[in-house]
Amino acid sequence: MNYNEIYTTALNNVLDDMRKVCPDIQHAFVYNEGGGIIAGSADITQKVMARVVDAFDDIFERAEAIGGVEAITLNGNMGTVKLYNFNGHYFIMVYSAKADVGYVDTIVRVLVPTVLKVLEKLSPTPLKNAIPPPQPEQPPVEDSTLTGIPTEVPVEELKLELEKEEAKPPPAPEPEPFQEPSPPLEVPAVQLIVENIGGLLVPSDTVRVDGETLANWENAFEGKKIEYVEIETFDGKTARYKVKPLKDSKYAGKGIVQIPEKAQLALEIKKGELVKVKPVIE
Amino acid sequence: MTKKKKALEEQVVTAEPLAIEEATGTEQLRASLEEIKGYEGVIGYILRNSTSAAIDLKDPSKLIEYAILSSSALEAGEELSETFNLGEVKNILVEGKEVKVLSFTVGDNKISIFAEKNADLEKVLKKLGQF
Repeated sequence: MNYNEIYTTALNNVLDDMRKVCPDIQHAFVYNEGGGIIAGSADITQKVMARVVDAFDDIFERAEAIGGVEAITLNGNMGTVKLYNFNGHYFIMVYSAKADVGYVDTIVRVLVPTVLKVLEKLSPTPLKNAIPPPQPEQPPVEDSTLTGIPTEVPVEELKLELEKEEAKPPPAPEPEPFQEPSPPLEVPAVQLIVENIGGLLVPSDTVRVDGETLANWENAFEGKKIEYVEIETFDGKTARYKVKPLKDSKYAGKGIVQIPEKAQLALEIKKGELVKVKPVIE
Repeated sequence: MTKKKKALEEQVVTAEPLAIEEATGTEQLRASLEEIKGYEGVIGYILRNSTSAAIDLKDPSKLIEYAILSSSALEAGEELSETFNLGEVKNILVEGKEVKVLSFTVGDNKISIFAEKNADLEKVLKKLGQF
């Protein structure tokens, strides 16, 4: 189990415990500054999480005037949504109307910073920049990412994996990973948030992805230029598009894929939704 | 011509009571906001509706940023409420490192109250409870 899995499991456990303490928490998840979902309850879909991230993002973009956001509370007739910002980790809690929000608030503000502090001490790098390094020596894992947007994995599955890891005898020293035969030519898909492309003469067959993601793919393919990507929606629709790096620096590092309107219509997706994007090598 | 003039007069007559009612509601709201502005830690407010806007901030240099933030908060509130079926949005509170913003809607009026980070907004919510 690598550090990122420990990190995700720990945060998932925090969310689970929060829900045990307060059963009126209906949904909960955590995302990072780049918009990547780190942990979350299974009862909330990636699509909904992406929509929520997008909605809060609009506020974050305008919150400089008040010194940045520490917390947001939305009170509705039938419930409350609360966002906590712990040093770039955004915890989202959705409560039913009968929840004692003040009580949970106190627990969250004590428990979460403590857990994050412990994780920070364990971490080789600052947590909010925790990006899994490319690991060509390992076989590709379905749904893992290169851009630090971990895929949601059911907590139980992670717990089982952890138990299995613990039960195993200490691994024998491995030979130098880089001397192994060349890695399989398959890079796992990354999950990115759909963003519109503005402008008049937007080619409908080209999408834009972060230059860093493209560079990671090119490295994984031994410097081969990535000219096409395959986009897969969570409804299972796939299509191939030309790919270019993002022009707008405000989207850099945010886990964004800019898709022309026509392509969005064809894939039946819209801004704010999550899609899987993987490079195509011909 | 005479017919047209008569028709216009009739329209004005029927529209008047409604206009007065709406104006009275907004005026009452504005009066309450003026009172709230005097509360400890409150630094100003923005009141907008489809026909007018009243802005009263101690630091007018941030007026535009505050107005955009207030509008974004209300829009995000509507979107999130729809996403999680939270029903009617009562209010949305954005707590910044320096300032906090309480935004809500009363009828056609969109209101945001800006306060210092440590200000107690309970009194504000109580005062506005009448609307």
